This record gives sequence, C-alpha cells and structure tokens, in this order.
Amino acid sequence: MAQVIIQGFLLSGLYALIAVGFTMIFSVGRVLNLAYGVYIMLGGYVYYVAVQILSLPKFPSFLLAGLAGIVFGVLTYLVLVKRFEKDPIAVEISTLILAVVMQAVIVLIFSTAPRSMWPLIPGRFEVFGVSILKNILFATAVSWVVLGSLMVFIHKTHIGRAIRAVSMDAKGAAVSGIDPQRINLVTWALSGVLGAIAGVFFATYTQLDPGMWVFPLITAVAVVIVGGIGSIIGSLIAAHIIGFMEVATTTWISADLRGVFTMALIIVVLVVAPKGLLGKAEL
Amino acid sequence: MRGWLVFGLLMFSLPLFLSTGTLRIFVMANFLAIFAMSWDALSGRTGYISFGHPFLIGIAGYTTAMLTYHLGVPLYLSIPAAVVVTMIGGTLFFLPALRIRGTYFALVTLAFMEIMYHLTQVIAPKVTGGTRGLSGLPEMVSGAIPNYYLTCSVMLLIGIGLWLLIRTGLGTALSAIGVDEEAVKSSGLNTNRIKLFIFTISAMIAGIGGALYVHYLGSIAPRALFDINFLFSILVAALVGGAGTIVGPIMGAYFLTFLLEYLRPYIPGAGRFVLYGVITLVVYYFAPKGLYSIFSSLRQRLSGKAGTG
Amino acid sequence: MGTNRMTFFSIMATAAVFMAGVLCSPVTMAAKDPVVVGYIGSFDSDTGKSTIRGAEIAIEELNAAGGVLGGRQIKLVKADTREDVTEGIKAYEYLAETEKVDFIISGSIDDVSLSWLPRMAEYKIPTLDTWTSYVGIIDMVVNEYDKYKMYFMNVACDYALATLYVDFGKDILADKMGWKTTVVLQEDTAFGGGVFELVDQMLAPEAGIEIIDHIVYDTNTVDFSPIFSKAAESKPDFIYLISSVRSQVPSSQYVKLQVPVPMTGINVAAFGKDFWNDTGQMGGGTSTLSPIPSVGFAMDDRTKAFVEKYEAKYGNSRPIFPHFNGFNAYYGMYNAFNAAERAGGFAPLDAWVTEMENEDLKIYKDGKLWLRYGFWKPGEIEPRTNREYTHNIKFDITQPLDDGAPSMVVIQWYEDGSTAVVYPEKYATGEFGVPSWIK
Repeated sequence: MAQVIIQGFLLSGLYALIAVGFTMIFSVGRVLNLAYGVYIMLGGYVYYVAVQILSLPKFPSFLLAGLAGIVFGVLTYLVLVKRFEKDPIAVEISTLILAVVMQAVIVLIFSTAPRSMWPLIPGRFEVFGVSILKNILFATAVSWVVLGSLMVFIHKTHIGRAIRAVSMDAKGAAVSGIDPQRINLVTWALSGVLGAIAGVFFATYTQLDPGMWVFPLITAVAVVIVGGIGSIIGSLIAAHIIGFMEVATTTWISADLRGVFTMALIIVVLVVAPKGLLGKAEL
Repeated sequence: MRGWLVFGLLMFSLPLFLSTGTLRIFVMANFLAIFAMSWDALSGRTGYISFGHPFLIGIAGYTTAMLTYHLGVPLYLSIPAAVVVTMIGGTLFFLPALRIRGTYFALVTLAFMEIMYHLTQVIAPKVTGGTRGLSGLPEMVSGAIPNYYLTCSVMLLIGIGLWLLIRTGLGTALSAIGVDEEAVKSSGLNTNRIKLFIFTISAMIAGIGGALYVHYLGSIAPRALFDINFLFSILVAALVGGAGTIVGPIMGAYFLTFLLEYLRPYIPGAGRFVLYGVITLVVYYFAPKGLYSIFSSLRQRLSGKAGTG
Repeated sequence: MGTNRMTFFSIMATAAVFMAGVLCSPVTMAAKDPVVVGYIGSFDSDTGKSTIRGAEIAIEELNAAGGVLGGRQIKLVKADTREDVTEGIKAYEYLAETEKVDFIISGSIDDVSLSWLPRMAEYKIPTLDTWTSYVGIIDMVVNEYDKYKMYFMNVACDYALATLYVDFGKDILADKMGWKTTVVLQEDTAFGGGVFELVDQMLAPEAGIEIIDHIVYDTNTVDFSPIFSKAAESKPDFIYLISSVRSQVPSSQYVKLQVPVPMTGINVAAFGKDFWNDTGQMGGGTSTLSPIPSVGFAMDDRTKAFVEKYEAKYGNSRPIFPHFNGFNAYYGMYNAFNAAERAGGFAPLDAWVTEMENEDLKIYKDGKLWLRYGFWKPGEIEPRTNREYTHNIKFDITQPLDDGAPSMVVIQWYEDGSTAVVYPEKYATGEFGVPSWIK
C-alpha cells in the first residue's frame, strides 16, 4: 500500500507536468496543439545533445532545452496557428502534420536508435522499503514548483490576469484593451518551455526515440479531458487519478491493461461529464 | 454528372498506357480515397470530427480476416458481414455525438481507436493474431490490373452515390448542422436522425473499403490499422483535398499517395518523409480549403475569361 | 612550365579515357544487363543499415571478382519500409513491378515480413530474410511449401533460440549460479508471448527453474518501479526479461533503481556495439541472448575480414559494428548467388530453390566448425525439438554443437564497457556476471 501511494504520487507529478502546457493552449486558444509532443521530444533531445554529446554542465543544458521549447512554441504560433486562428480543425491538422515532419527530422538526424539519458540527479534511497530515485523525486518537486508558480503567475501578475481574461472571453478581453496577439504569444512560449522541461524529465524516466512524442500527447489529452478543459487544478487532480490508476492497475490487476483503463476512463468521462471534473471556461 | 462520366472513362482507360507498377500505386490511392470519402461523409460538413476512422476500418478488416482465416467463410459472405459489423460500430460513434462535438468528439473517437489497438493484442491473440496479425488472407482478384479495375469501380460508385446523396436536401441539412445545430433543431428537423443516418452511411463505406483493403493487402496487423500514421493519411487526404466536397478527398488521396511514391527513387529514408510532410504542410498552408478549391476557382476563371473573350 | 604541360596532358588523357568509357559503356551495358538485387527494410534503424551494408560489401566483392552469372554486374536497389506494415507492402510492389528485381534481401521485422509475404507468393521472387526470427513464417513454408518455397530465413527462429536459452538456464543459471526460481517480465508483443510460451513449457522440466510469477507489461510503460517492486516481492533468484520494443526503458530503470535481484533474458537494444554509448555508459551488468554472430563473438578469418572492410567503409557512422543480420546478409548474398550460378540464374524458380536448399557454407575457426550458412530441407526433422524448419538456417541446438552454428549465444556487458560471449561453452570468451550492487 505504501508502495502504491509513493509510486503513484511520483508518477502523477510527472503526468501533471506533461499535461499543464497542453492545457494552457487549450484554454486560451481553444485549440488542440497536436505538435505539443514535439516540445517534449525536443526538450529531451536538446538536453541529451548538450550533456551527453557536447559535455556541457547540466544546468545550462536544462536552460537550453527550455529555450528550444520557447523558440519552437513561438514559431508554431507565428507560422502556423496565427494563419488558421478562426479554424480549430485547421490548427489541429497542421500541427499534426508538423509533428509527423518533426518525427522524420529527428530520424534523419539521430536515426531510429533509442538512447538512454543520464538522470539529472543520480542515486536512490528507500522509504518504507520502497526504492525511490532522487531524479524522479526531483521531477515531482519541479512539477509542483512549476504548477505553483504558474498559479501565482496567472492570478497575481498583470499578464497572467490578461491570459485568464482571454481564456474566459477573447472578445471581451480585446474590448478592454488586452492585445490577444501578445497574450497568445506568451501562452505559446509558456507551453513550449513547460513541454520541453517535461520532456527532459520524461526522457530521463524512459528513453529518447523518434516516436516518443505520441505517448505524452495522449497522456496530456487524457489528463485534460478528465480534468476538464481549461482548469489547472482539474488537470492536477486528473493527473493524479490517472497516475494512481496506472500504478494500482500494475500492482494489483495486470500491467498490460494500463493503457486500456486510461482510454476507457476518457470515454466514460466524455460521455458522462463532457466538461470533465472541474471544467469551466477559465484557467 | 458529366464530370463523373469523364473521370470514370479516363480512369478505365488508364491501364492501356500505364505500367503495372503505377497501377499498384493507383490501387493504394483508390483505397485511401474511399477512406477519405467515408471520413468526409461523417465529418466534412457536420463539425463532428472523427479521429477514429481507423477504428471503423479496422473492425471491418478484422471481422472479415478472422472469418476467412479461421473459419474458411467465403468472401461473398464475410465481406457483407464485416460491413454490417462496422455499421453497428458506427452507431457507437453516434452515442457520444448526442452530447459532444468538435474537438471533444474527435478525442472520444481517438480513444476508440487506441482501445482497439490494445484489445486486438491483449484479448484472444490466438484469434486476432496478436501484435503480428494474420498473413495469407484470401484475395478477391489477383494482379495489378484486375485490382485496379475493382478498386476504381468501388471508388467511383461510392463517389457518385455520395454525390447524389449530398445533392438532395441532406447535404444542406448536414452543412447547417455544422454551422449551428441548435438552429436546425429549432426549425423542426430531427438532427439526431440525420446524424445517425450519415454516421451509418460513413461506417458502411469504411466497412466496404476496410474489408476489401485487407483482402487486397493479404495481411492484417494492429500496427497497420489502429495507428496514428494511418489516421494521419486519412485526415490529411480529406483536408488537403477539400473537406465536404467528395471530389476533394479523392484528389487529396491521389496527391498524397503519388507524392510519397514518386519521391522514393530520389530521396532515401527519412528525408523522403520530411519532404513529403513539408510539401503537404505547404500545400495545406496556402490552400486550407483544399486542392479542390484551387481547381474550381481555376475553372471558374477560365470559363469567365472564355465568357468575356 | 613542365609541370603545367604534364597536368595538361594528364587531363586530356583522363578525358579521353572517360569519353571512351562513356561511349563504350552503353554497348557493354546492353550486352550484359546487371542482375538486380532489391533490399526491403528500414533505412534508418541500426538493424536495417546492417543488412544494407552487409549486402553492399558482398556485392562489391562479387562485382570486383568479375561479376556473376557469366560476368554480369550486380546492382542494388533499395525500398524503405520505415518499419511500417503498409509501407512494407508498397515497397515490395515497387521492387517487383517497377524495378523488376531478380532477388530480394530483407531486413524486415516480424509484422512487416508477414505483410509482404502474400506479395512474395504472388510475384514468386526469391527472398531472403535476415532479421525476423518468427517461427510462424517458417511454419507457413512448412505447411504450404509450394506457395512459399521462394522464402529463406537465415537467422535461427524463436523456437531454436528458446531451446538454447533453456540450456543456458540449466548449465549456467541453475547449475553454476544455483538459481531455482524466476519471475518472467514480458512485453505484451507477439514476440514476447511466443518466447514466454516456449520458456514456460521447458524451463521447469528441463532446467529445474520454477517460474513463480509472470508479469506482462505494456511497451508504453513509463515507470517500471511498480513492476520491479512486484517482481522483487516474490523473492525470485532472478528476473527473466523478454523485451524487444523500447527495451532500453526497463533495462535502464533496472540499473537506476538498482533492483536487488539479478536480471537476464532478451534485451534487443543490447545487441549492437552502439548500446554502450546509447545508454550513456550505464549498460554494464546487462546480459542478453543474441542471434549470432554478436558483439564479443570470437571471429574466424573470413568473418574478421568482413568486419574490417565494414569498419573501414562505415565505421564512422552507426551502427559502428554490424548487428547479426549484417553478417547474415553478407553470407546470405553468397548463398543466393552460389545457388544462382549452379541453377543458371534466379529463374526458373524451382531450379534456384533446389540449389539454395543445397547451399552449405561451412566456416571453420582453428579447425572447428564455427559458422554454418545452410538451410533445413523440406521434410528434414530437427532431432531435439522433433519438428521441421524448412528454409530456416541450419542451426545446431544439441551439445556439443559440432554440426553447425548454435542458434544463439548469451552476451554479457561488463561495467567497463567490454563485452564477451558467456554461453555456450564452445563460443565463450568470458564469464556470466551480475551487476556489482547485487550482494
């Protein structure tokens, strides 16, 4: 039982981190960014190249990965999303094509061979007989710090309040003098950096390979649906439901049913409560 | 109708000029065209975006594959059975559509596809063939030319059928649902009945296409059907061609299939897929209404010039 | 001035020779069309590249030695499958109908091979697979010989791999290490299921190792700590891992978590020499069974010469050392063309198939039979498993392995990055070991 609680808690932290950048775009722009998995992949590969090929120190490499996420997030917005602003389907299709292109680009540069990444913080320790990786604990801590500061940012700063206003009512916000362009730009940059940071941790959990963008994207979708679109608190709760459900399924039922349960949860939630657990039209 | 006749005649005369290698590419393009039209019927006008078409195509394929492979059921029974099963599957899509639409609907149907991917591998892998699937399925006809004629006929029949259907009031009703479903409801039309009807039609087309497809391929595997790459081809073919136009998805399917195949001898490996994706993205970027819109505006301009000149 | 004139003349001479070559070449080309070999498989994976490069080196050698089938040159055309099932079918159609190849060499994985098999049966093109080891394909050849007789597979199939693995369990894990219980950790793929089925039947009766738990995991699993916790809870003597897809995830988390139970089994990522850097030098202590020849495998002179050529030509790009299927492609090309010489070409098909069945390339090292590239004939029964393996490579799974190559070896990665073969004894170059954190 202690094991399920500890491991569930740690995995959920990672899932929350993966999902939050995706939620932001969904609530502000009302579009699915299907290239979100690419930010995760990009973060992982940039960090890998910096640390394990160029032998740079870890912290600057981490910042570099975040920067790559910002650049790519902003570019996605400026080049693709802005053009299709009135048409969410077009945004979804064009970001999906972008993701498939980026996967091929990664294959072109790195081949399909998978690679393992060094942990940000090596080592492990035991609590109640459960082996815990310092790296994973660190990832969970970062995830909480990031989510916490995001809440503060959204509720206490000027730009944050503007983001909230746009997410609730884009037209109304524009009337009250908020430049939605600028708000969108900030949101996409934030989403990019959050994705890239999540990617560094996700890759140290698993491995780097060109198909690695799909699974985090589907996880993010699941978290957002269950939590309710546009709700950071909802995403946090949903990430914990999904994370704990996975660990409990693995420990008590059967490890290979992990994916089936998550997908079944999506369908049930969407049919029973289409707005998710805490869905409302604001962050 | 004249356009369809010309197109049909052109298609049926092509084997006189083309190599069998090229005809094989046409067969693949025809299948993609059928799938894209099926998608277009459900999603092109209504605003109910399906990310789950591989689910429909897949259950058709698996039904007929398992019936013929394990039980030796003849194709003339197994294929209709597969179509019926798929139409029942299509009503599964209808249930969430009672409450949600747009992106939410897309995500539920995507979850359908993901669940099928897991289930074919976990439940009864002896029957489904598990991860590796089944190989050595019976074929309808053999060789490039017979398969070309078969797929062309099926594709043209489906295309003309849909075109006639859309020309009735149904097309207008579907577009109206896409714009404002509440308004259609308040005008006294039963939108649920219209939706159920078009979902079943779409599933029927997916079922016919999917069943013929696996017997053309001769094999079936979860990774070939319940897969994001397959979904990608269907969606992009329909949208790059032009959603809601029936002819557009055919154009899109031909464009994608031939683009990828014609790049093959020139660019090896991943570079081919990078270029394929970039070209597709650029085309979509500059013509988000699809290739069909380019052609129709070109035609209008030409006829307009002819009129003034 | 003098040097300038020299340069001028040498340029003129080169140009003249070149022009002559251009003018003459169409004539010679027309007289002797090249033999076209098709490659089907991935272009961007280490395994795919191994097959391509093995075939390329063999073709270079054959062409340099005056060509084949009466002095014709061999031309290689390649079709990418991207390890995608439908792309595999399109690639086979392209090779058959557009390129009109005479022979196909494949580096395909299980479901991709299965996808194009119906096309192979339709076009009747001689085809040699060098990567998939799926016994189901061999069974198709056994059951419907006439339909699939043009198919050959020169990597030992799963069944043979599993048999030798059970021997390894008995000789090393049970007798030497004293291990009696295991938990099987298996991915939810058909490969994993197939291997488990065989191991489940044989491990307890033949090696005396009891399977006390069997955990099937989803290949997308992010966090293996609950799975390792569950495995360790049963207190087995070791964990038996069966992993081919994303296999670096369980193995690297095993190392990071320092799971207090030894682990061995099948870890496909550890087959190549690039594994060491791919894992960030964290792969020490990993052991896996591998088809042969593998990393750490002691090489005879001919194989060594092949590897030297490979390293000189491709050593700067990955894979820096060929995977087993690179060797298979190299020797398989010789098999195919030797058979074609005797049969008078790749057509008629039956003549080539008969000659390919007669192929028996034996390679010796220090007077001992070391590698053998031949095939099981139709109707021939393998004595130990008492079944047919028509057109699978002629493996030997009965000790002392003096009638052919073994179906597999067990390789060990040490914590200094070196590798050795630790089983079977005839091929062993090092000792089986467990990671340093265990006891």
